[in-house]
Amino acid sequence: MWLPFLGLLLGLALGLLTDIQIPHAYENYLSIAVLAALDTIFGGIRANLQQVYDDKVFISGFFFNIALAIGLAFLGVHLGVDLYLAAVFAFGVRLFQNIAIIRRILIQKWEDRHVKKKETTV
Amino acid sequence: MKRKAITRLTIISFIVGLMIAIQYNTVKKPDSRDTRDIWEIRQELSEEKKKHSQLLSEIEKLKKLVIEYEESGKEEQAKVLENTVHQLREQAGLTKVTGPGVMLNIRPAEELILSGYEVEPISPNLLIRLVNEIYRFNGVYIEIDGQRVVFTTAIRDINGKTTVNGIPISNSNVDIKIITESMEDAKKLYSYLFASTFQDDFYLDNLNLVIHPAEEEITISEFHGEFTNTYIRKSEGE
Repeated sequence: MWLPFLGLLLGLALGLLTDIQIPHAYENYLSIAVLAALDTIFGGIRANLQQVYDDKVFISGFFFNIALAIGLAFLGVHLGVDLYLAAVFAFGVRLFQNIAIIRRILIQKWEDRHVKKKETTV
Repeated sequence: MKRKAITRLTIISFIVGLMIAIQYNTVKKPDSRDTRDIWEIRQELSEEKKKHSQLLSEIEKLKKLVIEYEESGKEEQAKVLENTVHQLREQAGLTKVTGPGVMLNIRPAEELILSGYEVEPISPNLLIRLVNEIYRFNGVYIEIDGQRVVFTTAIRDINGKTTVNGIPISNSNVDIKIITESMEDAKKLYSYLFASTFQDDFYLDNLNLVIHPAEEEITISEFHGEFTNTYIRKSEGE
C-alpha cells in the first residue's frame, strides 16, 4: 500500500533534482494535467477501497482525463474563453468528493477494527 | 491482481510526482532570459565604456589635485585650496560662467496670437523635460530667463505662474542659455535640439521655440539665492 507513495516521492525527487522546466506557454496545460492526474489517482484509491477497482478504467481514465483537460485548455486558448476553468472546477469538485469518500471509508474501517478488537477482548 | 494494480498505481503516481515537480520548477523559477540582441548589448557596452572613461578622467583630475597639494608649500597650499573652493563655487553655480553654448528663445507664436489664441505661461512640465534633455546631452550650466539652474532649483507652477527658483518667469519672451564643455558639444546639443520634437511640443502650447546656432561665448549669471544645508553642519575645528 505504501508503494504508490514511494512512487510519488521518487517522481518528485527526480523532477526536483533534474531541474526540468517546460516553456512558460505550456505551464497552464501542465497544471491542468497535474490536476487531472491527481483526480484520477484519488479516484483509483477510492475505487480500490470500495472494491470496484478496474485496471482498464483506471489506466484509460488517467490518460483520457489528462488528454481531455489539455484539449479543453487548448480549445479555450484558441476560442478566447477560459475553458480550462471548467476543467479545474470539475476536477476540483471530484477531488474533494473522492477524498471525502476515502476519508469516510477509512474511518469506517478503523471503527470496524476497533469494534472487532473489543469483541475479541471481551 | 491486487499486486498488479498497486504496481500500476505506483507507476502512475511516479508520473504525477514528476509532473508536479516539473510544474513546481517552472512556476518557481521563471527563467529571465537575456533577450537583447548584439546591437543592444554593444550599445550598453559603449555606454558603460563612456562612464568608464569619464570616471578615469575624473580620477586623473583628482590625482593631479592631490599632487598639487602635496608639492606646494604651505603658502601655496592656501592658494590651491582657494582654487578648489573657486572650482566648487563654479560647480555649485555661485559664479558667473562664460563658455561655448547654445541660446534658446521661447516666445508666443505670433500667427496664433493674431488669430485670437491666448498667451499661456510656459508649462513647467515641458520646461523640466527640456532641462532634463539638455543635461542628458551634455549641457553643463543652464540659465532660464535670468535664473541660474542649480542643484536645488525647482521649476514649478505657483498660483498659475511658472517659476524658476521661486521667481516667476516671463510669459512672452524667455531666453534659455546653455553652456557646454566644448564647442563640439554645443554643436551636438544644437543639432539634437533641432532634430527633437521640442519645437512641436512648444507649438502645441502656442509657443515658438527658437534654437540659435552654437556660439563660442555665452555668459551665464550666478545663482542669487542661498543654499540651505539641512544635513551638513559646520565643523567646530579641532
